[in-house]
Amino acid sequence: MGREQWKAALRHPVGAVAAALLVALALLAVVAPMLWGDAAEETDPAALSQGSTSEHLLGTDALGRDILLRVLVATRYSLGLALLATAICVVIGVLLGVLPAVLGRRAGRLVTAAVNLAVAFPGLLLALFFAVIFGVGARGAVLAIGLAGAPSFARLVQTNVAAVAGRDYVAAARVAGVGRFRLIARHLLPNIGEPLVVNATVLAGGALLAFAGLSFLGLGVQPPAYDWGRLLGEGLDRIYINPAAALAPGVAVVVAGLAFTLLGESIAQVVGVRAVRRRRVPAAEPAPLVAAEPAAAAVLAADDLRVGFPAPGGGWTHPVDGVGLTVRRGETVGIVGESGSGKSLTALAVAQLVPDAAQVTAGRLEVAGVAPLGRADAEVRELLGTKVAMVFQDPMTSFNPSMRVGRQLAEVTRVHERQGKRAALARAVDRLRTVRVPAPERRAHQYPHEFSGGMRQRAMIAMGLMSTPELIIADEPTTALDVTVQRQVLRLLKDVQAETGAAVVLISHDIAVVAQLCERVVVMYAGRVVEELPVDRLGAAAHPYTRALLASVPDLATDRDRPLATIPGRPPDPSDRPEGCAFAPRCEFADDACRMRPSLSAVAADQRAACWHPRTRPLDLTLDAVTGGQA
Amino acid sequence: MTALVAARPGVANPWVAFLARRLGRLLLSLAVLVTLAFGMIHLIPGDPVRAALGVTAPLELVDARREALGLNDPLATQFVDYVRALFSGDLGISMSSGVPVSETIGQRLPATASLAIAAFVVVMLVAVPLGLGMAVLTRGGRRRGTELGFTSTSAVVAAIPEFLLAVGLVFVFGVTLGWFPVAGRGGASSYVLPVLALSLGPALLLARMVRVEALAVLDEDFVRTARAKRLPQLRVYLRHVFPNALTSTLTIGGLLLSGMIVGTVLVENVFAWPGMGMTIVSSILAKDYPVVQGIVLVYGAAVLLVNLVVDVLLAVADPRSTIREG
Amino acid sequence: MRELSFEGTTVRFGTGRSALTAVDGVDLVVPQGQVVGLVGESGSGKSTLAKAAVGLAPTSGGEIRLDGVPLRSRRDRRKLQLVFQDPHASLDPRMTIGESIAEALPGRRRHAARSAEVARLLELVGLDPARARSLPSGMSGGQRQRVALARALAAEPEVVLADEITSALDVSVQGSVLNLVRDLQRELGLTILFISHNLSVVRYVSDVIAVMYLGRIVEAGPADAVLSAPKHPYTRTLLDAAPAFGVALDDPVPADDARLDTEAPSPHDPPQGCRFHRRCPIGPLTRPERTICAETDPQPGAADRPHRAACHFAAEILEVPAR
Repeated sequence: MGREQWKAALRHPVGAVAAALLVALALLAVVAPMLWGDAAEETDPAALSQGSTSEHLLGTDALGRDILLRVLVATRYSLGLALLATAICVVIGVLLGVLPAVLGRRAGRLVTAAVNLAVAFPGLLLALFFAVIFGVGARGAVLAIGLAGAPSFARLVQTNVAAVAGRDYVAAARVAGVGRFRLIARHLLPNIGEPLVVNATVLAGGALLAFAGLSFLGLGVQPPAYDWGRLLGEGLDRIYINPAAALAPGVAVVVAGLAFTLLGESIAQVVGVRAVRRRRVPAAEPAPLVAAEPAAAAVLAADDLRVGFPAPGGGWTHPVDGVGLTVRRGETVGIVGESGSGKSLTALAVAQLVPDAAQVTAGRLEVAGVAPLGRADAEVRELLGTKVAMVFQDPMTSFNPSMRVGRQLAEVTRVHERQGKRAALARAVDRLRTVRVPAPERRAHQYPHEFSGGMRQRAMIAMGLMSTPELIIADEPTTALDVTVQRQVLRLLKDVQAETGAAVVLISHDIAVVAQLCERVVVMYAGRVVEELPVDRLGAAAHPYTRALLASVPDLATDRDRPLATIPGRPPDPSDRPEGCAFAPRCEFADDACRMRPSLSAVAADQRAACWHPRTRPLDLTLDAVTGGQA
Repeated sequence: MTALVAARPGVANPWVAFLARRLGRLLLSLAVLVTLAFGMIHLIPGDPVRAALGVTAPLELVDARREALGLNDPLATQFVDYVRALFSGDLGISMSSGVPVSETIGQRLPATASLAIAAFVVVMLVAVPLGLGMAVLTRGGRRRGTELGFTSTSAVVAAIPEFLLAVGLVFVFGVTLGWFPVAGRGGASSYVLPVLALSLGPALLLARMVRVEALAVLDEDFVRTARAKRLPQLRVYLRHVFPNALTSTLTIGGLLLSGMIVGTVLVENVFAWPGMGMTIVSSILAKDYPVVQGIVLVYGAAVLLVNLVVDVLLAVADPRSTIREG
Repeated sequence: MRELSFEGTTVRFGTGRSALTAVDGVDLVVPQGQVVGLVGESGSGKSTLAKAAVGLAPTSGGEIRLDGVPLRSRRDRRKLQLVFQDPHASLDPRMTIGESIAEALPGRRRHAARSAEVARLLELVGLDPARARSLPSGMSGGQRQRVALARALAAEPEVVLADEITSALDVSVQGSVLNLVRDLQRELGLTILFISHNLSVVRYVSDVIAVMYLGRIVEAGPADAVLSAPKHPYTRTLLDAAPAFGVALDDPVPADDARLDTEAPSPHDPPQGCRFHRRCPIGPLTRPERTICAETDPQPGAADRPHRAACHFAAEILEVPAR
């Protein structure tokens, strides 16, 4: 863990308080026995079992000893024993945890099984068991608590080791001939250090509490020695006479235990994913209730669409930064771009499905005749209903795993058309048949995990067809699929489009896929549209980025004796885009003019490009491919 | 991959295979537990009988007691005898009182079990709605104040061990306010404080876990699919989020129940609750090993049983789990 | 650089109900100084074959030889180096890229010699040698993949196995990594087994192409011959499915036949006879008289057929229409 992260953990209010408490406790543990050690042993026969007096702030015990002093002095013993037990626990835990990685497969499995068996039993039960064996007393209790905690710590180490051992870089090191012990020292342990430190801290808190518990039961520290648990046990007997005698050591235990636990947790929070901070956003401009200019021909019209996320350093970053997009009824439009171009987020914004933290604004946004911006969620749901169907990238995760496929489809009809269970399910089966899922009656009763990827994507399309959508948005619908299945799904989308007359927006990183299905292509780069053109004009692409995309992807006709065209550099980070044309730093034609942001302007009848230097020469390399040149 | 799951004809019912495998594991665990309980008395350094009777006890008494406990036989014989006795419900005889251990446990078990079960019910009733509600309220970084309040309060309370909570409750509701009895087992009111002490921490802990789990499920792709279907919020939460957060809730719930069963040891000692917890502590202090052995066996078996039930419930709740094991 | 050969290599996972033969008796030769492209869909076993070669997957049958000598020890296997698919996962986030590369250098060397070698390797893959001291976290996918290549080369391998090394990369970066692979191969005369699901990518770098389906090589031969005159209907199906400009989706191809299964069979329970027969456009589902496909495994006679095709009707003309 880096120094930065420790600092961040301490800046966290809870972390800071916990750390301060621990420092104070450590000081007390050092100082208290030296200052008050003797005084805490002094018996005062004149003041046996007293309540709070000016002389004895928290009263006295049965022998007339000052409770406050005894609680303070007990800090050292309590902390020391807890840390000792923690140390035993961590050492044994790490050994047991790493052992499976050192031993062979079979012996390792045996160790894992033994640890799993031990973990099934609660720590306290194990502690009692060991306390019997090691005998009543401080030494026995330290061993008992240390050993009782070891299995769960070992399991933690094992899980972490197993997770890291499965990573490619460990496999790569093994292939490179790195030995077993070096592998553990260089690759495994450093990468599991953070969670172990965090858990050891929490564990210390737990050990402290457990020790107090054992001592309280009389199984831990034995008189005349005393720790907080012992004091608590003695105080509880007289809780009616002097509650402070029980409460003071109790509070000490809780405070010390919490200090450890909370420090551990705040470190864990800093190390782990930080929650996205939701910021108050400038109120969205109220959208007119009725579209100002009802575009009957367009099923989707967006102007200056922007999607912003709160930036870590303050302010907002805009992965989608002023997109204009129009889709006519029944049209098939492809959006092409690399990861980070904002193409998927554009689709989610259009469908009103952006993550909670995101903020969508637009000069104008109309989807299927609805202007959703500035309206309440429930209202948008009511208005959009089933007009927009979505097909997502990963069919494996896009279905609810604990609900049968048929019911997930039927749900749409049941909710939106208030149909009965039976009728809705019948329609679901019918739609599954439409998308050519074999044996739809049987399949409807299966769970998603019983479907293959291609079948699930078909079912997802069927879900969109449960009513009659006006717009189908398919976000990388074939990226997770094999190429033979990809063809089937694309053909299905084409059929569905022809039958229902719905408009289709296909989002893909693969320009060839888009070219197969769509009439028009929209190319996005760094959150903006850089070019839009009809598919049959791809060979005359004007924007250097579009041209580079076309040239850099090999197809079955690419000349194998020539190097592929490449684009130097990488796409800019949304939080750090260059002024002007975002592609300029990677563009061979860029000059001073490109410091101004170009807007989309017509370069041909149906073609617009956002470029100061649009290319006019037909693409020589890709032209062959585009026009179906010979291999 | 479909391949992993396609039903193949001729394969025995996966449930039978699953239950057989799971019962096998239970039997193995029980065997280990019995071995450890038996071994406990032999792992104690020195002579346990001498330790129990004290240094002043006459040699003949120690020898007689050793003979009665069978400690002079070869280890293997002792083990066989021990297991055989176990099967006939004989857990041995208390060294201090001479009462059969099974009789003692029979008297004490109901008190402990009723306490643990009541506490578990309270935990589930409080934690699940609380955790889900908090997840919905604080999703996507909303209501930072509520979130901070809930997470810090629950972290603090959940970190206080049950016996300290018990002491605090005794002080507030027993000593200061005098609303509830502070010791012994009687009517319903005597249950309030022990159950509260036992369930408060686990309830908040589980609520935290349910919240975290529900938040993770809210981020899943299929919840986005549900939103794309424009389903009402409540339906999204109840049909798509909750069932998928259930798995880990059950897992943690099972762990908490095991913890609570054993946690009764401390709580019983605070409230002088006449259960097994009181008995095991006094027996450990009195070095009455047969009683300790017997109670450890009962606690251990209860924990294993809870684990079994949780695993079966998990298999029922998650359609993939039986297959995943195979 | 020498010749890598797989002889009847078999990899089995699991037992009983969940048993899976991921690689089933594969014979494949990667000749010295050549690039053999291995293409197949997910679950075909192509990655498992590479993992078996470097010892990351247990073989349960057959031999893997380097110049005829079976690979047994870890020391032998170091002569094969694998480059992984995901460059974000294959570099230890806590080690500088220099350390990662140096770790793979064979033998003991002085510090200065190591740094010099690391610098040379970084330059070889087109990275600034000064990068040796930086952590991988700041690098792009393409740069990381270059580092991974450098690490593989550091071990002075006889054969490099590249497992889907471009599929996690953005399209604009993929080209430069492919160019690098091609340049390195020509400069150093590397022997490479290049694995990908993308036929176009494999075609661009390979001299020989082998097609894998459900754990078996169904066709192998010179790249041009396999692509222009495939002998196995599965190769033909793959070629037809590859998206290309100017080819409309509605132009029917044989594999679109509605009588065929749309799903790949389960690798846990591969079909009797030819494993492809239920999806085969020239198989028993379209030509009922071809019962042999459902009954007799075409694998045994494969060596005698053109392109070693595992198809009873490999002699049939399956030419791809010019694109």
